[in-house]
Amino acid sequence: MVHVEIAAERLFQLGPLIFTNSMLGALLASLLLLVAARFFAPGPALVPTRAQGIVELPIEWLAGIVRVTGGKRWREFVALVVVIFLFVLVANWLSLLPGIGTVGFYEEVGGKRVLVPFVRAAAADLNMTLGLAIVSFVSFIAFGIRANGLRGYLRETLVAEPAYMTPLLTPIHVISELSRLVSLSMRLFGNVFAGEVLLATMLSLTTAAIFTLPLAFFVPGIFLGLELLFGLVQALVFALLSMTYITLAIAEDRQHEPADNHHTGETPAPTTADPAHGAA
Amino acid sequence: MDVHTLAAGLAMGLGGIGPGIGLGILASKAMEAIGRNPDASGTLFVPYILGLALTEAIGIYSLVVALIIIFAT
Repeated sequence: MVHVEIAAERLFQLGPLIFTNSMLGALLASLLLLVAARFFAPGPALVPTRAQGIVELPIEWLAGIVRVTGGKRWREFVALVVVIFLFVLVANWLSLLPGIGTVGFYEEVGGKRVLVPFVRAAAADLNMTLGLAIVSFVSFIAFGIRANGLRGYLRETLVAEPAYMTPLLTPIHVISELSRLVSLSMRLFGNVFAGEVLLATMLSLTTAAIFTLPLAFFVPGIFLGLELLFGLVQALVFALLSMTYITLAIAEDRQHEPADNHHTGETPAPTTADPAHGAA
Repeated sequence: MDVHTLAAGLAMGLGGIGPGIGLGILASKAMEAIGRNPDASGTLFVPYILGLALTEAIGIYSLVVALIIIFAT
């Protein structure tokens, strides 16, 4: 039976700050992104080299999606959406590398010797996903306040359309805003954590029969490919949901929606071709 | 075999029914829409992924509950 710890394990402690192995995973992911930014951001060549093209491909693809669906003010939040996407993507794919989650030290917990890995998948810890969801939550509220003003935002959020329905609808509205926080964080955590457990279970199931059937070489590989796909999809989902919440918060007070649609509709040919191409 | 295993199995199994039906409806409608208008597949992509995520979240909730029942009690 595989050993599964639902909370991230403690590596060491600095005063009141407990440093967990999941934080190490998140730090590694952001370090990777920082190094990539240091290399490719200062002097982007007009004719991109091969490496620059590879790095720019996902950014351009997602920025194209944000431009098509993000409304008129997409430039204000495109950086946030792309960074959330890149961070979650790198953190998810980093956790699939060999050695991460498997190399560690032994510790006595409750009379049993368990392996504490040095690095754990960053999103397999609810603290990290909740933190990212709080970033998204605060930013869509801030964008809503900046677009509509504090008074406009509060009126939009707290006062229902027929005024006599306010006592009934306002709690529902507040709860639905707060449930975005829970669902964003729980979705990412559940997917990544379940992926880790799935891989470990498949490996332990197939290594038991390794002398009769060499399944251990194939079955975890299939699920590893599946986890690559899930890591991409969950990063995309987190970024696109953040984008949708920000777009809704900005456009909440606007009356003339058709003008906005007309604006985004005037350049359909290059933009709609990009996501379809990237999705295939 | 204790009751926790049964509870986790029930939580995941029953909790998977609803999202399964929902994802099936979602995917079939998306395929239908692409079949009617293949040019719209680019614009359908983002709403489709978002709908997929929101529907799948229900299943993930039951998965988290099942994992907590098994590993954290």
